[in-house]
Amino acid sequence: MDGVMTRKKTTEKLGGKDLINIGIYAAIYCVIMTAISMLGFIPIMMPMLSVLCPLIGGITMMLFYTKVKKFGMITIITIIIGAFLWVTGMGYWPFIFGIVCGVIADLVAKMGNYSSKKMTALSHGIMNITIFGCFLPLYLDINGYFSTRTSFGSEYVEALTKIFRPWTAPIILACSFVFGILGALLGMYFLKKHFEKAGIV
Amino acid sequence: MIEFKNVSFNYARSDEASVKDITLTINNGETVLLCGESGCGKTTLMRLINGLIPHFYEGYMSGTVHVDGMNVSEAELYETAVKVGSVFQNPRSQFFCVDSTSELAFGPENMGFPEAEILSRIDKTVSSMGIRSLMDRSIFDMSGGEKQKIACASVDTLNPQVCVIDEPSSNLSLEAIEDLKHTISEWKKEGKTIVIAEHRMYWLKEICDRVICLKNGKILFDVSMKEFRTYKDERLREHGLRSVNEDLSMIPMRAEPEENGVITLEKFSYSYKKYDALHIDRLNIPRGEVIAVVGPNGAGKSTFSKCICGLMKGFKGSASIDGKRYRSRKLLDRSYMVMQDVNHQLFCETVMEEATLGMNDENETVAREVLDKLGLSEFSERHPMSLSGGQKQRVAVASAILSDKDIILFDEPTSGLDYCNMEKVAELIRSLRGSKTVFVVTHDPDLIRRCATCVLRLEKGHVAEFNRGGENYGEEEKCYNTAV
Amino acid sequence: MNNDTYNPKKVDRGIILDPRTKLLYLITITTFALGGAGGKRCEILIPVLCMVPFLLLLSAKRFRTALVGIILFAGSSVLLEYANALSMGGLLYYLILGSCGILGRFLPVVMMGRYLMESSTVSEFTKAMKKLHVSDKVIIPLSVMFRFFPTVIDEAESISAAMKMRGISLGGKHASRIIEYRMVPLMTCCVNIGEELSAAALTRGLGGDVDRTNICKIGFHVQDYVSIILCLVPWALLIMDVII
Repeated sequence: MDGVMTRKKTTEKLGGKDLINIGIYAAIYCVIMTAISMLGFIPIMMPMLSVLCPLIGGITMMLFYTKVKKFGMITIITIIIGAFLWVTGMGYWPFIFGIVCGVIADLVAKMGNYSSKKMTALSHGIMNITIFGCFLPLYLDINGYFSTRTSFGSEYVEALTKIFRPWTAPIILACSFVFGILGALLGMYFLKKHFEKAGIV
Repeated sequence: MIEFKNVSFNYARSDEASVKDITLTINNGETVLLCGESGCGKTTLMRLINGLIPHFYEGYMSGTVHVDGMNVSEAELYETAVKVGSVFQNPRSQFFCVDSTSELAFGPENMGFPEAEILSRIDKTVSSMGIRSLMDRSIFDMSGGEKQKIACASVDTLNPQVCVIDEPSSNLSLEAIEDLKHTISEWKKEGKTIVIAEHRMYWLKEICDRVICLKNGKILFDVSMKEFRTYKDERLREHGLRSVNEDLSMIPMRAEPEENGVITLEKFSYSYKKYDALHIDRLNIPRGEVIAVVGPNGAGKSTFSKCICGLMKGFKGSASIDGKRYRSRKLLDRSYMVMQDVNHQLFCETVMEEATLGMNDENETVAREVLDKLGLSEFSERHPMSLSGGQKQRVAVASAILSDKDIILFDEPTSGLDYCNMEKVAELIRSLRGSKTVFVVTHDPDLIRRCATCVLRLEKGHVAEFNRGGENYGEEEKCYNTAV
Repeated sequence: MNNDTYNPKKVDRGIILDPRTKLLYLITITTFALGGAGGKRCEILIPVLCMVPFLLLLSAKRFRTALVGIILFAGSSVLLEYANALSMGGLLYYLILGSCGILGRFLPVVMMGRYLMESSTVSEFTKAMKKLHVSDKVIIPLSVMFRFFPTVIDEAESISAAMKMRGISLGGKHASRIIEYRMVPLMTCCVNIGEELSAAALTRGLGGDVDRTNICKIGFHVQDYVSIILCLVPWALLIMDVII
């Protein structure tokens, strides 16, 4: 075939198409996340979020990663997901985590040139640590918080501290990271099994 | 002026070039109709004019495209946006904002125009298009026709010299097409250069001055509309074109009535927020026939389809098949809808898996027979999503047949199809006659004449007419001609 | 010139607050009600802050949402008192405690978020962020996200309908692959629609170098100033706490 391949000049700047892609995948991800948290209708099921979100969200995110060619896209989507969690009532920690994890995840993916599978999986794992941010307020300063709730009685505070014992925190943190990596692998499997054949990659 | 010089383009994923060595000049103020069968390169040509090729869709390109002296393949998309406005096929995916006013402001906002200027532009568009009643409303609550009006209006606020319009009528009712026709003729009066790609051409015969027909990426003929209108239907069909003098009467074909009993619909009523969306007390539907469901937007067609497929929550009616009564949700077991976006209903990795998914006992031999009959046997190991639109539709039909459904409903099966593909759908539907009761919700008179044996016309939720082909023929014909 | 073409106040939404005020409420409520900052000094203020989202929802005529929220909030508090009074023990007690504890803490924030989302239009929101000097690189994806939510939900509903017609359900024989059956068409449809949406937006000049205009009008009114003062009190107390 004559003619030139018209691949766009690879500017480092994010273009309109990139920004719209971020919005679209963030929307899909947030809807899925909300649907999952509906499944955990009982509040005590909340820790399951740190397993299911990274796992199922991985399918969406791996498709998103195929569209990422420039630095910044992963950072922005993680910040937006963090902000969404904040606005829907998970506190500001996911937002702060989103900024930090987003930048690190983006850097990791960049080291793999946005194409290495290992780096992508690692990057997705780091990105999902954002979800741990939702649970952080339950561990932070629990006594301080409940000391203001004297009407609840001391047994209540004791019991609640028992449920959210400090040692469960690293477990949830590890869960979100490990299942982030597993989610990435699941996403890659789906890419190969379905999305490449469907021609949407 | 739009100038193509030796333009060829090959999408990155495809083996064959979509347009080959096109040289073409479109003068200022001309209104051009681009036609040709599916995949002939119409859409590619449109994308070359508005710059989406090569900036959005990647591939191999040679030659140059100039609009008003500007090389659109080199200019950035936002520079082209000032000169070229685009309206696309699908009304539901081309708006960016949630409410209509922001949508109209979107283009000028991107250009960084001052606020007062934007407001006066919106005001001008609103009054010239007569859409004041649509302002400040959620676009999601609008009908397809209204959405398409907003799409046109938001192009109008940027006031581009050139408009490219890609299959705008595919998802519109006949009434909405009339509105669209009005908007385009206004643009023409203003002296804009307009390029329209379309399959259904009847509504453009007074608007367009020039007709360019493409075949396999090359220009087949380039004639004036006056000359084009003298072309015989047979000649057009050879090139995969629909008739330019399309007959809009919705008369079912005359078929020998077969006596297979009836399906009785009872209490088919549904009200939505005190608004009577559907109200049918009792209706006998002859079994094994093809029933076209027609009517203007908001007549209750989609409520009717959801009810008959058992998908409507809170619906209390029932249907009796063979003397057995199926209440609301139970209808799910008896009926199947082939959706407009058939991608919603393809789940599996291969066509064979897809076909056997709904079967009571998964039997490959039976499945193979059905796939064979629908011309799908060679694709049985392919991924369903990798097939063409028509093939996907067939896969959905195959799974409906195999899961032993009595009623199959098609939701706008021919929107955006050229003559050949429309004919194929008609043939598919005809082949189901006798064994299944088929409902076809459609705006396409061509399709109705080719495959429907009954027409059910809904208006404001009520049955306005139910006509079985061949019965009371003369009288009904008169009715339908006046209705359209 | 007719200037009433754009007027978000036309729709009846009760008390109109500037989106920035709503954000301030959200930050304050998350910090003090959820985060428990401020200690004893803010003890009286917290119930007041917790009631704000419910009142705002009522003023915006979201009676159902407000009612459900109030019932859940009050219910969990009463249940806690009751469980304490009976000095219940065992697993049930922990379950009640855990559930109610989380509900009581998160509910006001969830309600505030709900109010924020339901009572502001996307253009008001983008304008507010613009005024807060948020980069277009975040504003554009966010507005696409808001635009795309209804689409994703619509697609998901159509897919559920299709699954029902095929008899695929949690109780059915294909339950193990239900996630796959849901996700594959959902992703395919959304990506296709997204592609069309980007193409349409780009042909209308999105992504240029110029500074985007926003014709939406927002600003502070009396109700905003009252709210800001209310929000500043706990912050002031917190700062005093740190200093002294």
